[in-house]
Amino acid sequence: MNENDLYSKLVDLYAEHALPADMENRMEAAAANSPELAEEMMTLRGAVDLLHAEEAPEFTEESYQRILLKMYARGVELQTKRPDPIHLQYQLPIQG
Amino acid sequence: MPNDSLKDSLAEKRWLTALANGDPNALGALYEMYGERIFRYAFRMLGNRTDAEDATAETFLRVLRRSAELRADGAFRTWLFRITRNLCIDKLRQHKLMELPPDAQYSGSDERATLRITVQQALADLPTEYREPLVLCDLEDMAAREAAEVLNISVPALKSRLYRGRRALRDKLSGTLERNP
Repeated sequence: MNENDLYSKLVDLYAEHALPADMENRMEAAAANSPELAEEMMTLRGAVDLLHAEEAPEFTEESYQRILLKMYARGVELQTKRPDPIHLQYQLPIQG
Repeated sequence: MPNDSLKDSLAEKRWLTALANGDPNALGALYEMYGERIFRYAFRMLGNRTDAEDATAETFLRVLRRSAELRADGAFRTWLFRITRNLCIDKLRQHKLMELPPDAQYSGSDERATLRITVQQALADLPTEYREPLVLCDLEDMAAREAAEVLNISVPALKSRLYRGRRALRDKLSGTLERNP
């Protein structure tokens, strides 16, 4: 592994907050003398932090029920602990 | 092993055995255990709710179909993600669903919502080989070893793709990162 590869690896670990504190301090000290390294460290960590801050897609009750319905529609008999939604519990009276 | 993980592992084992024995409660219980994670993963891969719901339902239908072969040895969750991944890749090939999801809803301030849309778009624009490790490791918080198993690659290959993917994402987000340091 040459020096560039080593720095690149360290920046990757810095970005994911995976370096021990003393190594992280040494990286930051090195970055103070190298704007290029500082930019690399800051932007990569910023990208990783943005990803980690992403909210998960919401698994709504409607999605939960629609997935169940898709399975029922394929002939699967399955039971869950959650009660069926109101509109599936009672049959509507046939009119006319 | 933390107590919750041990409990989950025992419950998984119990329900897989029950499924193989034809217990009608078993598939429902496994759906309760893993449905949300599988849906989230599918949503992040496909970018829209309807396709994510289809992929989730199909994943659990395959669980039922292969109930006799499933092993309760801890590999089930990895297998589940792998099935979902294959279904998502098939859907992406069929429909080229890489655009920003039309039904995506972002809560919060305008600025935050804009940021989320920008990140989602940048992720969607990445080649699949880079996007998948980011989704599994950075968004779904999966350990590298398990993510490598889902993707059927070695751990060093996974890490290489993950690091390259992060750099590619960073390059796509360069303007955004300058505005949101």
